Amino acid sequence: MATSITPDHRDPNAALPPASYTSEILELFLGPLIRLGDGQMLDVGPVCEENIMFFASRLRRHYVCDMFLRLIREQSVARHSRNAWRHLDYPARFFDGIHLWDLCDHLDDKKVSQLVELCLSMLQPGGLLMLTAFEKPSPSARVNSFIIKPDYRMRFRVQPHLNLSWHCRHNRALISILTGFSIVKSLRYRNGIREILLKKPLSIS
Amino acid sequence: MLGKSKKNESGKVVSPDRPAESKGTAFISSSTAREEKTIIGEHIFIEGSIRGEENLEIEGSMKGSIDLGKHNFRVGPNGQVEGEINARNVSVSGEFKGNIKSHEKVEVTREADFYGEIKANSISIEDGAYIKGVIELDREPNRKSSGAQKPIATAAPETGKAPGATSPGDKKET
Repeated sequence: MATSITPDHRDPNAALPPASYTSEILELFLGPLIRLGDGQMLDVGPVCEENIMFFASRLRRHYVCDMFLRLIREQSVARHSRNAWRHLDYPARFFDGIHLWDLCDHLDDKKVSQLVELCLSMLQPGGLLMLTAFEKPSPSARVNSFIIKPDYRMRFRVQPHLNLSWHCRHNRALISILTGFSIVKSLRYRNGIREILLKKPLSIS
Repeated sequence: MLGKSKKNESGKVVSPDRPAESKGTAFISSSTAREEKTIIGEHIFIEGSIRGEENLEIEGSMKGSIDLGKHNFRVGPNGQVEGEINARNVSVSGEFKGNIKSHEKVEVTREADFYGEIKANSISIEDGAYIKGVIELDREPNRKSSGAQKPIATAAPETGKAPGATSPGDKKET
């Protein structure tokens, strides 16, 4: 069960943005895709030039579909957002890896379940899913984009135009939604960032 | 722009006095200086192919292919382009659907609505750009290996410490 915080009800005493950190999980996630040579990866945003350059210079073809902006757009055109997942209309078993940066933090449990199911479908058997989640909201619950440095050092940049609510989930609640995947590795950093590397079982086609 | 003419950087008038529609192949003038730019006005709709030897900016609508070789192409904030682009530098600020092949750089601004494929040497994308696409950067042989400078011992280890870890105490396994 998630607790929702909207940007309009921000905690003035909220913690400062998390300091930079080195992402061990990202390296574990990307390594196998690089070694594949023609590994195909999907990043669902937020759009960030540095990251596109980072991934695209390491992978032959880098797929980007900014779901943050799509969720914002859906909200602006309809009171109840339509099925934003229609934008992720990629074929089944298409990707070797999917990168979900902080997206689940801005979705309710039902939508996270839908997204996880979709990721399971889009990944090849054995494909990897990297999920990042904040343990507590960044100031004003705003979305940060992450900037990856060549040494896998991660920094943050606030995206004020991405005005999405934030859903607080404890570790157990988060992991319980990730059904269908097997957990490869899960880390929690001191700055409150949680990274989980998941694998689609080979038994699921 | 309806009833108005636009001038390019060297003062060349490029937009007609009234809306126009074109089908077939439009050839952009090649008799001008290198810095010249042709602007297709926002009330112009072109369907077909364009080949040219100068820079081109589209503020109107275009469906088809554009081949500018060593010259630059821009989709202006009001522009709507669907098709194949081949140019030196490409900048998208309007709506674009299709494939871009750039010999140098592709720029996608925050006003852009981009759907398609980009092949380029480098790319510049502003935060807030609405993108769904595939990015393929030209990679030199030594550039390809740069991403694999620190090979990982196992593809997906169940346990154990991975390379490139942060300093002790920076994280804990959950």
